[in-house]
Amino acid sequence: MSDQFTRMKLGPNRRQFLQTAATAGGAAMLPAPFGMGEAFAQSANDTLVIAAPATPQGLDIEFDVSLGSIDTLGALYEYMLGYEKVEDPNAPGVLREDTSVHADKPNNMALRGRLAEAWEVSPDGRKATFKLREGVVSNWGNHFTSKDVKWTWDRKFNLKGQGLFQTAVLGLTTPDQIKVEGDHAISFNLDKPNPILLKQQCNLANPIYDGTKCAAVGGSDDAWAVNFLKNDSAGFGPYRLTQLVRGQQAVFEARSDYWDTKPAMKRVIMREVPQSASRFSLLQGGAVDIAQFLQPRELEALKSEKNVAVDAVNASYMIWLELNAKIAPFDNVDVRRAVNLAIPRDEIIRTIYYGYADPQTAPMPYIYPMVDKSFFSYNYDLAKAKALLEKAGVGKGFSTTISYNAGDPTQEPIALLIQTSLRQIGVELTLEKLPAGVFYENVTKRAKPMIFYQDSPWTPDPGYSLYLYFNSKSYVNYSNYNNPEVDKLITDGLATLDNAVRLETYTQVQKTLMDEAPWGFIAYPKYTLARKAGLKGFTYYTSNNLRFQDFTRG
Amino acid sequence: MKWAPMLAKLRLFGRLALIRPRFTTGYVIVVIVAILAILAPVIAPFSPTEADSLSFLQPPSGVHVFGTDNVGMDIFSRAIYAPRIDLTIAILGTGLSALLGGSFGALVGFYSSGRGIRVWLSFALMRAADVLQAFPIFVFAIALVASLGQSIQTVVLAIAFVNAPIYLRLMRSQVLSIRSMRYVEASQVNGLSDFQTIIRHVVPNAMGPVLAQLSINVGWGIVLTAALSFVGAGVRAPTPEWGSMIAMGFQNVVTGQWWPSMFPGVMLAVTVFGFSLVGSSIEVLADPAKRRHLLSDVRLRDIARATKTAKRSSLGQV
Repeated sequence: MSDQFTRMKLGPNRRQFLQTAATAGGAAMLPAPFGMGEAFAQSANDTLVIAAPATPQGLDIEFDVSLGSIDTLGALYEYMLGYEKVEDPNAPGVLREDTSVHADKPNNMALRGRLAEAWEVSPDGRKATFKLREGVVSNWGNHFTSKDVKWTWDRKFNLKGQGLFQTAVLGLTTPDQIKVEGDHAISFNLDKPNPILLKQQCNLANPIYDGTKCAAVGGSDDAWAVNFLKNDSAGFGPYRLTQLVRGQQAVFEARSDYWDTKPAMKRVIMREVPQSASRFSLLQGGAVDIAQFLQPRELEALKSEKNVAVDAVNASYMIWLELNAKIAPFDNVDVRRAVNLAIPRDEIIRTIYYGYADPQTAPMPYIYPMVDKSFFSYNYDLAKAKALLEKAGVGKGFSTTISYNAGDPTQEPIALLIQTSLRQIGVELTLEKLPAGVFYENVTKRAKPMIFYQDSPWTPDPGYSLYLYFNSKSYVNYSNYNNPEVDKLITDGLATLDNAVRLETYTQVQKTLMDEAPWGFIAYPKYTLARKAGLKGFTYYTSNNLRFQDFTRG
Repeated sequence: MKWAPMLAKLRLFGRLALIRPRFTTGYVIVVIVAILAILAPVIAPFSPTEADSLSFLQPPSGVHVFGTDNVGMDIFSRAIYAPRIDLTIAILGTGLSALLGGSFGALVGFYSSGRGIRVWLSFALMRAADVLQAFPIFVFAIALVASLGQSIQTVVLAIAFVNAPIYLRLMRSQVLSIRSMRYVEASQVNGLSDFQTIIRHVVPNAMGPVLAQLSINVGWGIVLTAALSFVGAGVRAPTPEWGSMIAMGFQNVVTGQWWPSMFPGVMLAVTVFGFSLVGSSIEVLADPAKRRHLLSDVRLRDIARATKTAKRSSLGQV
């Protein structure tokens, strides 16, 4: 397939984009009586322009979870369920998913139907039946039925991409466990009860495909439409893709036949602007509505701009150091504890994040249910750290390497602060800057003694998060942490629906993890959005992505 | 008697400095940078590698003359420590390239005609140099650093490799004209081996343009070191180095903090300018024709006349 994909009506090209931006700037300066500003406002009112660090490389979540890609998923695809939205308590005007435990609601969760109109979980927790919405059509005009859901999950089993993790985490071993119960009814049948069965239906990685279209375009050569879905979409979401020129821009158009509330933004232009300073300037100059992923310093500078607003919400992001438990001296728990005591979290948050982060005080996101921060015992204390190093038999200190991602501009300065701090207890760090591609390869190889990692578990559940990073069998357990007791507790908690039991189990897991310090806990960076002040409706999702349909002009 | 030629050269050098003030500027810059590099531990008010989160991104002030960067490191201290790394890498890299390129260039030039395996080897070496030079220098350097790992030694090697073909060609072209000189023939008639002839008579007489190129290439070496560090393929943080300092600070410019990248940028530019001027002066000094032309400058004819004797004694040996 060509790297440049264009179909249907072409979206604006680079020249048009610049012309629009220039016109916007010029029109904004004209007094109202000249009429031009109003005319532009009318044409731009329903167009959302986003300066993004990257356009989607691929549109298939099975194989691509890059930044640009995840921001398009929620617009192109619909999901079985969603969370109710609530006001963010710390960010006025911002909504967020209500992921907390609700004892008064069905299944103890605040869920709302999307493609599934109603749902029921059997008392033993092993079967969930969904009644699907009727009258929903895809961007290709095909009606939504249970066959689409079935096709979607069969695809996960067959392609063995990231979908395989989704099936495994639910305890699904064969496609037969997902049964079509009628044109608009489907059931998931598990061997063991699973508390995240419903939550996974909201997960960004589980969009529902238009199976009819995919089967038709794929044919026998490409039965799961891998080539098609890489460059195009077949879903039930509010937008369709009209142009994707990788490295330049992606353009989306709101669907008039979308089943739910029609998006206010009829057209969305996602422009690739790799440099954060350039995105900053474009927003400052009024050429774009949203500048994504600005540096904290730039966000701080935008605070004084009248026409720009910055939203910062507590998020599922975590940044930590993988202290490799199989590489000396981090195989010694006291050394890991000492490192944690010498991480200057407050300095990092003040100097590098400008306050757009909080200290990491738990081994899972601090916004997720059942998190317990009371076991954190690593407030900055160099004397205690030194004593622990002596106890570990490395009182004279040691030298090691700290590896970080060249693609993340915050990691090098954090490494410098940690280097300066650890030097005071005799630990000499050599900084190793790794290009982004090589960096992730090194993380997965688990061959570095100390390497940065930033991630967020997309499902707001303690079992999901703790399993990902600390179960010895998890692919994402990059610190090589291995504690059979922790393994057992995590899996036990993933096989019961009793929230009281789960709370007790995961509290114990968090206590053990904090004590054994498999990570160098650093920070919970906030999710930030720099936008035009008149743009409203921003909603925070735990998968840290935008959904274009949320935005309106105030 | 032994001191006379040297004094004559020094006098010539002094006059040159007066005739062309830009050459003087070049030497002054290089000397100042060298002094800063040597005395950095004495002059620097702060450690160049210690972060201080209590004073990050401070603008230039009495305490921090050049301000501080985004982790609170003193930019003045880092900027004057930086030439230790930049100059060392550039000089070592350039020296190594001159040694490699010059040696092979002398051999290739000496054996480029005639018959036998030596001619074929000369031919192969020149084509290899063509391939090396056809490759974009910066891309080649990045690839080298990426494959050998990020270290000072690798950057030195990268500079040596990308510059070696320049010296190869330069030395070859010089040797090609020198080897047919009578004194070369005479030395061989007197029983000197090829190697002895090359070392004693060919290379010393071919060194002038090479020396001029050395200074220019040191400047280029500094730029290449900085460029590699700028893209993250050079020295490791927090080693004070101008390129990495610029890289660390340039994103701040848009939010008004210009000083983290401005000062190292200016120092880098001035230093490269200085080496370039020094290279130009050496080029003039090493080339009798250019030197003669310079000294016959109308405004300074009197000075030239007054030192005519010294000039005659030194012309053939400088």
